[in-house]
Amino acid sequence: MANRLPEEFSDLEGYVDWAEPTEAARMARRIGASMEELTDYYSTLLPRMEAIAAYLDQWDLPELPDDAKPLLYLGMMYMEAAVAVELFKDPDVPESSPAEKLTVLTEHGERALLG
Amino acid sequence: MNAPKHTYAEMYPELGTGPVSTESAVSKEFFEQEREKIFRHQWFSLLKRDSDIPNPGDYFVREIEIVGVSVLVIRGDDNQIRAFHNSCTHRGNRLVHDDRGCTVGMQCDFHGWTYDRQGELAYVTDEEQFYDLDKSELGMPKIHLDIWRGFLFVNFDEMPDQSLETAMGDFNQDLSPFAFDDLECIGRYRYQVDANWKTTMNAFQEGYHVAFVHKRSAPDAFTGDDNPYCHIPKIKLQDNGNQSLAVPAAPEHKLSPTEELAFKFGSTFTQGIGNTEICPGTWQGEAENWGFDLNIIFPFSRINVGAGWCYVDAFWPIAQDKTIYELAYYFPKPVKPSQMISQEFSKIVLRDLSREDLATNEVTHSALMARSIDKLQLSDQEIAVRHLYKTVTARVAG
Ligand code: FES
Ligand SMILES: [Fe+2]
Repeated sequence: MANRLPEEFSDLEGYVDWAEPTEAARMARRIGASMEELTDYYSTLLPRMEAIAAYLDQWDLPELPDDAKPLLYLGMMYMEAAVAVELFKDPDVPESSPAEKLTVLTEHGERALLG
Repeated sequence: MNAPKHTYAEMYPELGTGPVSTESAVSKEFFEQEREKIFRHQWFSLLKRDSDIPNPGDYFVREIEIVGVSVLVIRGDDNQIRAFHNSCTHRGNRLVHDDRGCTVGMQCDFHGWTYDRQGELAYVTDEEQFYDLDKSELGMPKIHLDIWRGFLFVNFDEMPDQSLETAMGDFNQDLSPFAFDDLECIGRYRYQVDANWKTTMNAFQEGYHVAFVHKRSAPDAFTGDDNPYCHIPKIKLQDNGNQSLAVPAAPEHKLSPTEELAFKFGSTFTQGIGNTEICPGTWQGEAENWGFDLNIIFPFSRINVGAGWCYVDAFWPIAQDKTIYELAYYFPKPVKPSQMISQEFSKIVLRDLSREDLATNEVTHSALMARSIDKLQLSDQEIAVRHLYKTVTARVAG
């Protein structure tokens, strides 16, 4: 399969499955992952986040080319992993209303990216 | 903070200081009275802004379970936003099945009657078979819709007993100057809660719980050595039930590596801390160490404002023991991809933090139902909870 990330991010190619296009899917992936996987994802992405941002910011959002979107989704997935690692120390939110009772709806920004 | 001990009881002596009965949260009959005396007459915030449906034909559908009505809100060719019962005037079939979209008109899938974007009946199939059909009288059934600073509200009364402007009370001065216009909805969530709507809302009306319930999601953003119990620096309770509470921020809040990134790429929900640029329409200028404000529009919706962002939410009563908590964040419309990544941080933290709040509700509700306790002991910091029970009980009695 062809690489899905821009050349300069080929080191992240192994994480491309994490590039979920919706918040609902990213949240589900986080909750379904183990703490080891999340910590690994977090530690790998953290030092790359500024480069990811700089690369993506070549464009304004409406002009963002389709082949740059997986990188954006990886960046957004980073935030899910980071919250689990830095705050909750758990893939899910301990002592909380269960995730099944929460519906994450899709809003403008997400729809625009999905096209 | 060296505030006197019972600041708010002194400000609002009419609310009293005794325990509050749980009866109104556990009684099915009381809930029926709330429905008849409050919900049927109130202005419902739809938790949407006019800018969410910017173009003619843009629409959304919202079920208002408590009155059993499916509401269609649509922008017409004349740019007016209108609200209708989502029902065909032929025999009552549901017209629109999607939650949102853009349409040239509405066609009923039962017998094909067609309505235009202003809700007028435009075409009747096999019209000659009818007798004296006056199409001009058979537009979709209207619902009162009014807009406050861009926010859409509906009212199911035939003639609303008060205007939306009246219902907003002091928010017409206090909250109105807030810069809502440049904000866009960046996230929307719906949580099912098996608890009474007031019990659910109570967890969002004080800062007392923060150090405990939010010890993981917000270990130091709202509580610190100088204010360990998240004392609320400003409260304004209006006679009509509306409430405004300033939530403090802790000046010693430490940014995690990820919040630091989020700040680098944009801004976060903690940016009220130490921010000296005053946001009009907030308590920022008057509250020491201001974080954000909770503004409750009686009975159960809110427009909460922070430094350059807001979130709107509502505790939709479904039944005496069922509530839907809906929450939507409005942040500056992201221009660059990095801003979108930045906003994801605040969205996720606040989304997960709400799940912590809601966890307490269901167990509390069960205990109240079991009559394990029949009174709430409320401190001066929980005066907004007291005020809610007082207002609801007075309305139901009145
Ligand atoms: S009910 Fe709509 S056309 Fe008959
Ligand atoms: Fe809370």
